[in-house]
Amino acid sequence: MNTLHWSAALLLFWLPMAAFGADQTEDADEARVREIALGLRCAVCQNQPVYESNSELARDMVKVIREQVKQGRESDAIRRYFFDRYGDYIYLEPVRSGRNWILWGAPFLGLLAGVGGLLLALGRWRRGAPPGDSLPAAAPGEEETLRARIRRELDRVEL
Amino acid sequence: MGWKLTLLGVVAGILFLFALGLNNDPRHIPSPLVDRPAPDFAGPALDGGDPLTLSALRGRWVLVNFWGSWCVSCVAEHPYLLELDRQTRSRNDFVILGVDFKDTVDGGRAFLARHGTPSYRHVVDPEQKIAIDWGVFGAPESFLVDPEGRIRLKHVGPLYRGWFERVALPLMTSGGGKPS
Repeated sequence: MNTLHWSAALLLFWLPMAAFGADQTEDADEARVREIALGLRCAVCQNQPVYESNSELARDMVKVIREQVKQGRESDAIRRYFFDRYGDYIYLEPVRSGRNWILWGAPFLGLLAGVGGLLLALGRWRRGAPPGDSLPAAAPGEEETLRARIRRELDRVEL
Repeated sequence: MGWKLTLLGVVAGILFLFALGLNNDPRHIPSPLVDRPAPDFAGPALDGGDPLTLSALRGRWVLVNFWGSWCVSCVAEHPYLLELDRQTRSRNDFVILGVDFKDTVDGGRAFLARHGTPSYRHVVDPEQKIAIDWGVFGAPESFLVDPEGRIRLKHVGPLYRGWFERVALPLMTSGGGKPS
């Protein structure tokens, strides 16, 4: 073992430790800022959280959040602050009230309808096709002619 | 055959809703601040004079106009603001207040020097704290605040010739106070 090996081994173990350590010491306030800013929609870019956006407005919003966190305001109060000014739009996850229940409920209703339809169809298949949909019964002797014809046609196919 | 018709109906319905959605302007988002008390603000004046406070203008209708020297539409809007300023200067029930946000003092002053300096004053809001407090998305955006300090309407985009007569005056003359 030369020094190169040793330093490589050291790096291998130390780097992840260092990264882990950094995570551990993240300021509790900053974690709260991140949590709030991840749930808010950037107002000038479509569908990006404020925390991840590079737009000036989003960055200034993060500053406002940071300031309010430092002042010790509750997370919900800070979210409410933005909601009162920017409306429903500001939440990436729509609030569960009023008309928004359609938004939250519709996919599940659709799923239920799909499952219902599937069960209905399966039931029908199991009971056998309804009489209207079946083919008319073949006349005696006709089936034999059909089979002969199929055999002839298949013989002509080169594989 | 029934299920085919149903499927066709569902697809047509989805397409219809989709077509409705296509006509929505993603920039036009209704402000929850309308008919609510205007958030007060105080800040340094662009002209370097005494600091400005919104609540000091209580008792008059206030047109709060958010702008910035970086904003292209504000250039288009500016001639109308100058005209509105000339036209309403003598009224004692209406005043305009500019908020120059996300801007430098030099930038704001240069804008006015180039495009015309109105008689009304401007607050500087370099970190757009006032703008965020007012739920502003971009510039220009304008709010009409009534004498009781309540926001009565929000206009997104440049104000246009005739806006005052068509939109502001009817509100101002219909009792003046709040709707309820």
